[in-house]
Amino acid sequence: MSPTIDRPPLIYLNNAATTWPKPPGVLAAITQSLALPVFGSGRTTGSQGEDYVTLAREAIAGLLAADPPEHVVFTSSATDSLNILIQGFLAGCDAGCHVLTTELDHNSVLRPLHELARQGRIRLTVLPFEDGAVSPDTVEAAITPDTRLMVTAHGSNVLGSVQEIARIGKVLHDHDISFIVDGAQTAGHIPVDLRAFPVDACVFTGHKGLFGIPGTGGFYVRDPETIAPTRYGGTGTDSFSLFQPRDMPERFESGTHNYPGLAALAAGAEYIAGIGVETIAEKAERQTAFIIGELKEEPNVTVYNESPSLPIVSFNVRGMENDDVGFILARAYGIVGRTGLHCAPLAHRAIDGGRGSVRLSLSWFTTDEECRVAARAIREIAQHADPSVGSP
Amino acid sequence: MRILRSVRHKSCADGSFMKEFLLDAPVTAGFFAYLENFGEVEALRNVGEGFYKFEKTDWFSIKGMNGDTTVEVRFKKEAMDLTADFVYLLFSSYREGAADLSLLKQREQAIEKRVKERLYGP
Repeated sequence: MSPTIDRPPLIYLNNAATTWPKPPGVLAAITQSLALPVFGSGRTTGSQGEDYVTLAREAIAGLLAADPPEHVVFTSSATDSLNILIQGFLAGCDAGCHVLTTELDHNSVLRPLHELARQGRIRLTVLPFEDGAVSPDTVEAAITPDTRLMVTAHGSNVLGSVQEIARIGKVLHDHDISFIVDGAQTAGHIPVDLRAFPVDACVFTGHKGLFGIPGTGGFYVRDPETIAPTRYGGTGTDSFSLFQPRDMPERFESGTHNYPGLAALAAGAEYIAGIGVETIAEKAERQTAFIIGELKEEPNVTVYNESPSLPIVSFNVRGMENDDVGFILARAYGIVGRTGLHCAPLAHRAIDGGRGSVRLSLSWFTTDEECRVAARAIREIAQHADPSVGSP
Repeated sequence: MRILRSVRHKSCADGSFMKEFLLDAPVTAGFFAYLENFGEVEALRNVGEGFYKFEKTDWFSIKGMNGDTTVEVRFKKEAMDLTADFVYLLFSSYREGAADLSLLKQREQAIEKRVKERLYGP
């Protein structure tokens, strides 16, 4: 839409939702993938195409230290992955087994689990958090003899905090409980080493920190035999069999792959590997700390996460609705953030009474100048935050 | 003032139904002064070109920046089927300067009765 007033240049700080811009190599890979015929063994066009599925699988396995690469499964999103894993892990749990999750989690975890609880298939406990994290002691105290599974986010999309996966995983495995970790907010932002993480499955999405595009995601599963497939169909392998193959990744991958999406994912993972996740994390930490430091100087601003591990800043301006702050940031300053509950209603209920917040989230492409402009804009808004009810 | 285009957006916080309207003329302080005949207006005049927000409790809200040709309208879902037409009427009836609001007020009162019955009972 064409506004009458001059709009300032776009500053995109909604990268926890979807990263933008994408690296040039990602755009080139998508174009190339559409320009070439689909690769596949047994297809007559195979010799002219690129095997983007294998490229992406190896790139993701390398970035997340997931071994073997065949245990990396591609889906359409992190939400899709979580549904497959939750349903698959709990396939034999008709007697009402016990599952743990946390208040920090996204609706992509909370809704599948609450639906199963409503159906009477599981008993669900939602664990509280403190200082942005759920304590391993809290996890241990919630375990009962029938606890079978815990599902939780590695990083909070509201607070940018990171869970103590190693300690929580050890507690769970000591009790023979499976552990699914949602890495949607951490993959590509901070080092994720699945060789060292005591998890049974880890979920990723393509379009956030991995610089892919929407419509791609996946998961790594350590022991595929622990999960029942919940989708069935053509795999291009063992086609005389009328049952789903047990081999990986065909056990969980049916139907035609998203070739342009996986080409983008491979290129995104390659781009990150070229920079180094540690370097990305260091820059993000410095820029995030700068914005938070600036906002803390403003008495009218409440920051909910003073020392996040991920490039996320959640705040409110006293006397203003978060939606209004977001509207002004976008319209008057060209700053795109995200307002509301961020699909994490329980986290917001805990930190702001369910009112929601303004969230700014950075990426490798965020510049220091953009951080300065954003902090200055928020401080300006906050300094005028005394809405007068009356005649304009 | 005419609505040239209406685009629906998602609102995750309260499930309200949100639309962005592209208008044939920029909204002004005068437009929000006109809206104040039908609800409450909050203003942050020193932010950017000036931020304005009109709220008609249980009906809808309208947000805009002074001089902008786009505004954001959020309908309360529970009564949206009763109130949506009135939003269009508010925009199309606006003229700069003094205006006769009697017909609009009559319409508002008729809808208000139905909205109250819907939300709070007869």
